[in-house]
Amino acid sequence: MLTLTRSQWNLLFAGMLLFGTFFIAATRVRPLTSTAAPPALVSADTTPAPQADHPAPDFTLMRLDGTPVVLNKLKGQVALINIWATWCPPCRAEMPTIEAAYAQYRDQGFTVLAVNLQEDPRSVAAFMQEYSLTFPALLDLDGQVSRTYQALSLPSSFFVDKKGVIRAVYHGPMPRSVIAGTVEQLLQEGT
Amino acid sequence: MYPLVQIGPFRLSSGGLVLLLALILGGSMLARVARARGGEQLARQADNCFYPVLIGAMIGGRLWYGLFNLDLYGRNPGLFVALRVSDFAGPGALLGGLLAGYLWCRWNEFDKLRLADSAALALPLVQALASIGLLLSGEAFGMPTTLPWGVPLFGTMRHPTQLYFTLAALIVLSVLAWLSRRPLPVGTLAVVYLGLNGLALLVIEALRADSLRLPAGIRVAQVFGLALILAAVNWARWHIPSSSLTTQAETTPTGLQGQP
Repeated sequence: MLTLTRSQWNLLFAGMLLFGTFFIAATRVRPLTSTAAPPALVSADTTPAPQADHPAPDFTLMRLDGTPVVLNKLKGQVALINIWATWCPPCRAEMPTIEAAYAQYRDQGFTVLAVNLQEDPRSVAAFMQEYSLTFPALLDLDGQVSRTYQALSLPSSFFVDKKGVIRAVYHGPMPRSVIAGTVEQLLQEGT
Repeated sequence: MYPLVQIGPFRLSSGGLVLLLALILGGSMLARVARARGGEQLARQADNCFYPVLIGAMIGGRLWYGLFNLDLYGRNPGLFVALRVSDFAGPGALLGGLLAGYLWCRWNEFDKLRLADSAALALPLVQALASIGLLLSGEAFGMPTTLPWGVPLFGTMRHPTQLYFTLAALIVLSVLAWLSRRPLPVGTLAVVYLGLNGLALLVIEALRADSLRLPAGIRVAQVFGLALILAAVNWARWHIPSSSLTTQAETTPTGLQGQP
């Protein structure tokens, strides 16, 4: 069985303290350390589909101010297409997290397209104002885009890389770390 | 990630389901271990403790996560009470559960140390399963790697840190199961559990890409892990006799199965 004298325990304590402190300092996250890496090979599938490794199906939707947004014109940026509704509690819970990511990464080429599912524009505008959301809300008035993206549950999120390829799909509210991890990875990649 | 289980019109998160399964299993395992180590009375106390400890762990886990994401949570305090399976931090959950368990046991005059030893034998399995849930939900993900056992996530191969945590929990369980068959001072299993968990946090957290951080890039879970290790060693140097563990007078009942 284990047999240690008091002084040996003291030595172990001091040793662990020194080793632990050194290890923590050595493995800290340095400002220039990237948590992203070159991507694994992405499938060359060219058929647009709401699935990972397929080109994102193109759409044109109106913003609340009436200006059109064309998905394919956003190539060169990383886009999060988030399909949501104001009546959906998980969507509401997720919005502040998306806004935080938008504020953090928009200057690096990240944009959010919050595709609202068939709601009155005034309700959407009121919601965006209430939650202080600054990313564009798009109005899917006839539900066509939501159907194309097969958004059977809300929220549904599609991360589109700079080439317009869907790289990750999430159903349900995303934690902050998942949004940040996905966005940082895609921002690191070239066009 | 986020594979969903379709039940009629409902889609349930598989990560959340695994976590739920882990909690149910943990509750049942705690009662079983407590019964084996302290009879019906300890099993009743364990049952009585389960929900207060669970609630304490949930509050602690969310508070910890929120405090280290204060830029987001400070502006949206509602997130502290948002009903979602994610946004819990392990160290906070451990602290919250420990505090709630201590206060509940003290309030009810339960046998704190024997319950803690029983919990130490039940918790690793819960952690092992919960870590698989994290893998399914894409949380607690690792740094990029070229190692052959990397998992694809966010378009690249990454360390399967969630599986490392699962493996660590199973190793902790094996060590504790081995120790539980030996006569040890009451509370030793709980302390060993905390110390080994601290070691796992210290080492594995270094490979995580989404660690909560202190200034200068220090990973807060590593600091917490080191504190657990030091607390465990400190406890051992005062409570474990310098001659040999086997000569201790006050000992636990034998093993996982045996009645005292």
